[in-house]
Parts: sequence; structure tokens; C-alpha cells
Amino acid sequence: MENNNRDYTNGEITVFWQPKFCIHATTCYSELIEVFNPRKRPWINMQGASSEKIIEIVNKCPTDALTYKWNKDLDSPPVSKNQKTEPEMDAPVVIQVMRDGPLVITGKIDLTSFEGKVFKTYSVSSLCRCGVSNNMPFCDGTHRKIAFEG
Amino acid sequence: MDNNIKHQAELKFDTNGPFEVKGNFIIKDCNGIIIPTENVVYLCRCGKSKNKPFCDDSHKF
Repeated sequence: MENNNRDYTNGEITVFWQPKFCIHATTCYSELIEVFNPRKRPWINMQGASSEKIIEIVNKCPTDALTYKWNKDLDSPPVSKNQKTEPEMDAPVVIQVMRDGPLVITGKIDLTSFEGKVFKTYSVSSLCRCGVSNNMPFCDGTHRKIAFEG
Repeated sequence: MDNNIKHQAELKFDTNGPFEVKGNFIIKDCNGIIIPTENVVYLCRCGKSKNKPFCDDSHKF
């Protein structure tokens, strides 16, 4: 099955896009629209900023949806962000409110519906705040289509 | 505080209601600033609250 993974390079670094990991945290395009613009195709423009700036934003992506490699290291195994961003056990769960977007939760949580349905514990997840996700209680990116503000 | 939830937070939600959050958590606003909160908070899930990210019962109307 096609995975829709893409990669983009500026000759110095390569950014890897794995859409199946995207939780619509909106960090990339809210901080660097010159490079990450979901309304354009291709949606990543590697000429939009310096390699250092692109790396800074890729590292802020809370999942492995966006990763990067220096081109000179392309042959080495892929680097996952998940290990290094694993929160400390005694660290508080962080609930980050994204502008015009979801709640991005980092840490160990129990997510339960009042009927008692328990969702898996996620280390990073994003939860709908706009009321129209088709994948409640999770964000599916629909807030952008309805121009949610808040 | 209940020791059983010392190292984690619990989120509960109803079909048409907000997220109820308890436990060891912090909330940051869009600018990354920590919002001081009570031990239990209710976060808007319908998009209509006038007091986002918190619930103000707008979902009932």
C-alpha cells in the first residue's frame, strides 16, 4: 500500500514527511509558513528558509511526521524523535493550546469517555478543540477547513 | 493529591461535553505561557466557549 511519504531537500539537508504520524499540531506552518505551507504543492519549500531554521522547526514537530537528515548522513539509519522526547516519569503532563488549533498533550495520560471507554495512553496526542473533527476526541485537521479561531 | 495519579493526568470527556482534566498537568497558552489553574479544569471541546481554552457551558445552548 502506498504510504504517501515524501522527502524534500535543499542539497544540504533532507526533510522527511510521514503523513501517517501527523497529529495536526500545526507547529510547522504556524511558525514557518515560508517553508511549510499546506495550501501549496509541494507543501514544503526548502528554499523558504535556512537549513538551521528548518531544522529548528522540524525538531519542534511533536511526532515523527517531520524528521530530517544532513545529506552527508543520508546512508545512516533514520533517527526517530520519539526516544529523545520521551517525557520524564515525574514530569507533569503538558497540555499545549495551539492557536486556532487543537490541544497537544505530551506525557502519560488516561483518556476516558464518561461511558467508561478507555483510549490508549499516548505519549503525544492532539485533541479536537473546534468541535467538528470526524475522529473525536482527536484532531483530524478539520479546524483549518472551518477557519476555527480561538 | 491522590498518589495513584501523581505521575500522570486523567482526561475524561462526555459525548457533548468538555474535557475534564485532573492530576499532574500544566496548561500552556498559544504563546507557551503557563496558565495558572485549579486542580480540576474543564476544557472546551465544542469550539463555542467565550473563555477558551476553558469551558463556559456554551455547548448547552
